[in-house]
Amino acid sequence: MGTLMDYMDAHALLGKYGIKALDAAYVGSAKEAVGFAKGRTIVMKLISDKALHKSKSGLVKLSLSGDAKIEGAYSELVKLGEKLKPYKILVQEQVSNGTEIIIGGNTDPQFGKLILLGLGGIYVEVFKDVSVRLCPITEYDANAMIESLKSKQIMLADERNGKIVKNLLLKVSEFLVKNQKITELDLNPIILHDGTYDAVDLRLIGE
Amino acid sequence: MAGKYYNLDNMLKPKSVAIIGASQSPEKVGHIIMQNYLNVGYDGDLYPVNVSAEGLILGKKSYKSVLDIKKPLDLAVIAIPAKFVPQSLEECGKAKVKSVIIVSSGFSEVGDTGLQEQIVSIAKKYSLPVLGPNCLGVMDLRSRVDTMFLPTFKIDKPSIGGVSFASQSGAVGSAVLDLISHENFGLSKFISYGNAAVVDEVDILNYLGHDPDTKVIIFYIEGVRRGKEFVEVAKEVTKLKPVIMIKGGITPAGSSAAHSHTASLAGSYAAYEAVFEQYGFIQAKSLDDMLYFAKIFEAQPLSTKKRIAIITNGGGVGVLAADSLYLNGLQMAELSDDAKKELRKVMPPIVNMSMPMDMAGDADDKRFGAAMEVLSKDPNVDALMVISLFQTPGADSRVAAMIIKYGSEGKKPIVVVSPGGNYAEVHNNMMESSGVPVYPSPEDAAKALAALVKYSEYRERMGSLNAEDKNIKKSK
Repeated sequence: MGTLMDYMDAHALLGKYGIKALDAAYVGSAKEAVGFAKGRTIVMKLISDKALHKSKSGLVKLSLSGDAKIEGAYSELVKLGEKLKPYKILVQEQVSNGTEIIIGGNTDPQFGKLILLGLGGIYVEVFKDVSVRLCPITEYDANAMIESLKSKQIMLADERNGKIVKNLLLKVSEFLVKNQKITELDLNPIILHDGTYDAVDLRLIGE
Repeated sequence: MAGKYYNLDNMLKPKSVAIIGASQSPEKVGHIIMQNYLNVGYDGDLYPVNVSAEGLILGKKSYKSVLDIKKPLDLAVIAIPAKFVPQSLEECGKAKVKSVIIVSSGFSEVGDTGLQEQIVSIAKKYSLPVLGPNCLGVMDLRSRVDTMFLPTFKIDKPSIGGVSFASQSGAVGSAVLDLISHENFGLSKFISYGNAAVVDEVDILNYLGHDPDTKVIIFYIEGVRRGKEFVEVAKEVTKLKPVIMIKGGITPAGSSAAHSHTASLAGSYAAYEAVFEQYGFIQAKSLDDMLYFAKIFEAQPLSTKKRIAIITNGGGVGVLAADSLYLNGLQMAELSDDAKKELRKVMPPIVNMSMPMDMAGDADDKRFGAAMEVLSKDPNVDALMVISLFQTPGADSRVAAMIIKYGSEGKKPIVVVSPGGNYAEVHNNMMESSGVPVYPSPEDAAKALAALVKYSEYRERMGSLNAEDKNIKKSK
């Protein structure tokens, strides 16, 4: 099965390859969470091996602005955490709306590292509109991955997105090739907005 | 690169062959193989081997073991019960046989991995290229080698040509061989490799990729054993010649059937699709497509451009053809003014100069010829789809002959659509035997053209679009 890499470790490792995930930190108290927010709107998540679907089990608190809301969310998560020990509480900046995409990585027993691109959000499981390539990919491959999606018009509604996605794919491919021991990668979702992107959630699984 | 992989020349062009398990009893596989060698006129030395044999088998002196032959042997074909195979293979190694085909089944495909491992280690010990087990072996029409244990009267043998076919499955292999002869394109080599215990997909792809007699490769696989090497070899081969892939086991149901079938670790279909897409393979999703693609690649030139002219002697089929071009990502050609002017001179007034050009039901060979003459020269036309409905009053053998004239020029790809019964079939066979691919529907023809264009684009990207010319010359 492999082991899930600690969120902040994964955050740092991907950062070395220019894959920047949203500003995040672990907090040990409501006060620390308030300190992290510095007036921004934040998201708070409980992370535990025993909780697989964070959003389904109420372990993600969204749109927290102001000290009171942040402190309230923190104590709620601590209560839920009783049954999920050991756990950590992560805070992240909340991002604006945009187009959600998924970039994934996997290891095929025969061919090695695969990279996947798909439109994110609630329909991904239904339409299975994804494109897959073997790593390392070339610039041509990255463009072809985008082109072959039925949902490319949604993804490219903002024309700046094409270049962002292409560059991200190339970086993720390089990351996967250079980190053979990482067997699975999940950047889900990545939010494209205003000519930039935010990797909102990430998951690396090692051997 | 070539040194890393088995050379299969001794298997496909042997000067001497031992048939282990040859027998006087006509129902024995070894008997059929031996009989086939004699039937197809193999002119090398043939040695029947049978532990309990005395005297002659099918008119040839028989031996109890390959060790008794004491002559150089390029190939031994083993067709005896599985449990005796390791000992027999060991003897081949000691006798310095250069290659071995194990036809026998009863190895990993029925769960006996131990027996198969014995074969692998003996092959390694003697650096022996071993094909199989659980396979039909090989057929090479040029060197008149046929190790298949299928009685010759039950299967149509294709004519000699440029398509080589490798199949993991023997049954798919033999059925497709039968179909190839029906589709009228020529075969170079057939390799059925079964469990791929020693010689595997990678060796075969590498061998056929560098084989001067092979112009087009078609490949039925269920799984690949050495994924990374497969990709390495593919990069080399697909930029030189088209490789059409059909993968069995693309659904979970098919995949588990394939697993128990040839016991290979299949990997995920998504990975195969990615590899096929990225490294220039032409993926066929059905046996029909595989054959339809093979015949356009065998006989027609590559084209990276996709403006297709359609001429037809039936309006409705022309409309369907226009739809199928669009659905397959191709474009309808817009004729140049010069071409329109030329055509206006030769076509009756009722014929409209727009595409698809309906030449009317009474179109005869002269009208077909005049249209193809103009279109084959029009710079606005990259390829032609000729719809000849032989049910119409004007279409007869002269139309077929005219299509052959232009269809074998080799300047622009030409495909023919000719649905129909016996009368059409006769003419379709004429055209196909002359290298003009004929399809039963516009949809099939458009799919084949689209595959040709897509592959041509890959070759252009790899900088090897014109490398094909070299290949054609080599294969003749």
